[in-house]
Amino acid sequence: MVLDRIKFFGQRNKQLLGMLGAIAVMLLVLSISVENFMTWTNITNLLAQVAPIAFMATGITFVLITKGMDISGPAVMAASSVIAVAFITSFKVITAVHLISGCMILLLAGGFFGFINGLAIAKLKMVPLVVTLSMMTVATGLATVLGGARGLPTIPSAYANFFNKYTVIVMVILISSALDFLLTGTSFGRKVYYIGNKEETARISGINTDNVILIVYIICGICAALAGIVNVAIISTARASMGPQSQILDVVSAAVIGGVSVQGGKGRVRDACLGAFLIVGVNNVMNLIGVSDYFTTLIKGSIIIFAMGISSFRQFYFSRIRA
Amino acid sequence: MEKKSPLQLKNISMTFPGVKALNNVSFTAHQGEVLGLVGVNGAGKSTMMNILGGLLQPDKGSEIIINGESVKIKNPRVAEDLGIAFIQQEVAAFETMNVYENVLASDFDKWRKNRSPFLNKKAMKEEVRKHLATLDCYIDVDTPTHSLTVGEKQMVQIARALSQGGQILLFDEPTASLSDHETQKLFEIINNLRTQGYIIFYISHYLDEIFEMCDRVVALRDGQKTGEAPISEINKEKLVDMMIGHFVETTERKNSRDKDDIILRAENITGVKFPRNISFDLHKGEILGVWGLLGSGRSELFNTLLGFDKMVEGTISFNQNGELCEINHKDLYQHVGYLTEGRHHNGVFLDMTIAENITSSDLDRFASKGIGILNNRKEKEESRKYMKQVNVKAVDENMIVSKLSGGNQQKVIISKWMLKDPDILFMDEPTKGVDVGAKAEIQNLIFDRSEKGVSFVVVSSELEEIMNLCDRIIVIAEGKLVGEVNRDDFSKEALMAGIVKQEEKVENEQVQVG
Repeated sequence: MVLDRIKFFGQRNKQLLGMLGAIAVMLLVLSISVENFMTWTNITNLLAQVAPIAFMATGITFVLITKGMDISGPAVMAASSVIAVAFITSFKVITAVHLISGCMILLLAGGFFGFINGLAIAKLKMVPLVVTLSMMTVATGLATVLGGARGLPTIPSAYANFFNKYTVIVMVILISSALDFLLTGTSFGRKVYYIGNKEETARISGINTDNVILIVYIICGICAALAGIVNVAIISTARASMGPQSQILDVVSAAVIGGVSVQGGKGRVRDACLGAFLIVGVNNVMNLIGVSDYFTTLIKGSIIIFAMGISSFRQFYFSRIRA
Repeated sequence: MEKKSPLQLKNISMTFPGVKALNNVSFTAHQGEVLGLVGVNGAGKSTMMNILGGLLQPDKGSEIIINGESVKIKNPRVAEDLGIAFIQQEVAAFETMNVYENVLASDFDKWRKNRSPFLNKKAMKEEVRKHLATLDCYIDVDTPTHSLTVGEKQMVQIARALSQGGQILLFDEPTASLSDHETQKLFEIINNLRTQGYIIFYISHYLDEIFEMCDRVVALRDGQKTGEAPISEINKEKLVDMMIGHFVETTERKNSRDKDDIILRAENITGVKFPRNISFDLHKGEILGVWGLLGSGRSELFNTLLGFDKMVEGTISFNQNGELCEINHKDLYQHVGYLTEGRHHNGVFLDMTIAENITSSDLDRFASKGIGILNNRKEKEESRKYMKQVNVKAVDENMIVSKLSGGNQQKVIISKWMLKDPDILFMDEPTKGVDVGAKAEIQNLIFDRSEKGVSFVVVSSELEEIMNLCDRIIVIAEGKLVGEVNRDDFSKEALMAGIVKQEEKVENEQVQVG
C-alpha cells in the first residue's frame, strides 16, 4: 500500500525526482572537489545567489505554459530597479518610508512593463518574441538614460541589511511556493494550463483567454521586479548593466531544465526553481574547480540541450505508444 | 493462382498500458478484393491499420505474412517498401507545393538528373500524369495543392500511393470529407483498382458504403474478431449485430412541447461573408435542426451568433425571467454550450485528463471564493458522475484524453457541456466520426435533455439523423435562410427544395453575368 503510493508519486513527479538527483550529484561533486564546501555559509550564499534567476524563472514558467515567450526579464529588472533607485536617491534625507515606497515603485514598474507586454500580445495579437524583444531594448535604453552618465548614487545600507541572504532565501521559498500553488491549485492556474494545451478549446469553453494571458505577463513582470529587489540589495544601487541581456538564457534554461515545455501546457514553478538552482550551481562548480569561462558556457549549453533532448525524446516515445 | 492470398494476418495482438486493443485477430486478404473492416469506435480498426502502416508494433506472437513470407513492419518506410499505402482520413498534403511534387514527395532521389542535384522535372510530370490518368483524374500537375478541392487532394494521395508501387491500399474513412459527387468518383476508382488486382482495405462508419463497395467484411469488437463474411451473405442487421453485439434502439421523439415560450430570438444575423440576414426563433425544449450543404455557412452561423466571428449586423434576444430582452454575446454564452465541429481543433484538451476536460466548461463551480482554490475531489466526483451518465468508456477520470477513441472523446465533450447545464446547447455535427452505438446513445441523450427543457440547435450533414432528431429544421444555402420545415412535413425533397431553388437562382445570375 505504502509502496504503491510511493510508486504513484514517483510516476507523477518524474521531473522532480530527476532534478533532485541531478542536484544531489552536483552537491556531491562540489563537496568532494572543494574543501570545506558543506558549510552553512557556503550553502546559504549559494541559495541567495540563486534567488534572482529563480524569481525570473518562476515568472517565465507562467508565460511558457501559455505557449508564450518573454525575453525582456533581465532588462525589465534593470529598468525597474533604476527607476526605484532614482526615486529613492532623489531625496536629501532617506528614511525607511522612502525605501519601502521605493520597493513598491519597483514592483509597480515591473508589473507595468509586463502589462504593456501582455496588452500587445493578448489584445493586439502580436508575436510574443517580437514584443518582448522590443521591450528588452526599450527597457535597457530607459535604464541607461535614467541611470545617467555617472551612475546613480548608492542607497543606505539599511536596505541591504534588511534584504540580507536569509531574508532573500525565505522570500524565494515563500513566493515561489505561493506561485506554484497559484498555478497548480487554483482555477486561474488551471486556465493557464488550458490555454497552453489548446487556446481555441479554452475560448470555446468560455474562458476569457485574453485576460488570463494579460495577467500572466503581468506576473512575469512582477517576478522580474522581485529579482530587481534582490539585486539592488547586492550592489546597493542600480544600473543598466545589472541585467545583462544574455541572462535571459539562464532564465529560460532554468525553466526548460525544470521540465517546463516550450510548446506550452506543461511544467511547474517548483521544478523551474530547482532548475535555477542547478544552473547557478553548475556555474559555481565550474568557478570553484577553476574551469575557464569559455568552458563554462560550453558545458552549460550542453546541459540545456541534454535536458531538452530528454523531454523531446520522452514526448516522442509516448506519442508512439499512444498512436 | 486464384486462391493465392498475399496478405495473411495471424494472431495479431496489441497491448496498450491497461488496455488490450487487439486480441488474437487473424484474417486473410485476397488479391483483387475490397475488404471492409467494420467496428465501433475503439474496436481496434485504427490500431490494426497502424500496425499494417508500421506506426505501431504488435505484441510477440503476432505474424504478418505477405506473399508467403513472414515480415516485420518496423516503421512506415518498411511498410512502403512492402507496397502498403495508407490513404488517411484527414487528407495530408504539402499545401504550398505542386501536385507532382506531392505525388512524388517520398522518393525525389529517384528523379535526379544523372546523379546531379537537379531534378528531372519533365520526367517527373510525365510519371505523375500517367498515374493520375489511371485514376481518370486530369488535374494539371503544376497546380499548387492548396487550390485543389478535398476530393482532388485525395486523388493526389492515391496517386502517390500508386507511384510508390503500392499493392495493398488502406482507405480509412475516405469519404468523410467528400461531397456526394466526389464519393461516386472515388467508388469508381476503387472498383477500377479492384479489377487491376490490388488488395484494398476499406474502413467506414457508413454501412451503406460498406455494402456498396466491399466484397467481404471483417468485424471487430473490443479488439476481437466477431465475424467475417462475404457481403452477399449478410444484411445490415446482421452486420450491426456483429459490430455491437446488441442493437441500441433510438427512442422515437415525442413532440409534445407547447410553442409559446421562446427562449432565443435571433434577428437579421449577418457576418462578414456568411451568414446573411438570418432570423429564427428557438423554443424552450425544442430541437432545432440547421440543414445545408457543406460550405453553406452552417458553422459560420453558430460562430457569428455566439460571438467567435464578427457580427456585422443583427440582434439577439434571450428569455430571462419570462421576458425576451436583448443580450450581448458574452452574457449569452453564460447560458449556452457549444459543441464544435473540429474535435481536435477546438473541442478537447488532448494532453489533459478526462476530469480536467469535463470541468473546463464551468471551472468556477469547483473554485473557492476569492483566490479560487480548486476542490479536486469534488471535481473528480462530478466528472465521474457525468462520465457514467454519458457512458464514457475509460479506465478512470485521470486518463489522458488523447488515449481515448474518437467516439469517447466526443462523449467527453458532451459530458463537459452537460456539466455546465446550459439552457441552449449548440451542436455542430455531434456524431461526426462516431460509431453506430455511440450515435444512438448521443441521440437518446439529446432527447432526454430536451424533455427536461434544454433547447438544442443541431447541425448535421446526415439527412436521416437530422430528420430523426429534430422538431423543426431550417434550411440554409449560401449563408441565407431558404426554408423552414416542421416535423410533420419532413422529407428529403422538402429539405432539398430550398437549396435547389437557391442554386438555380445563383446559376441564373451567373449566366446573366456571363
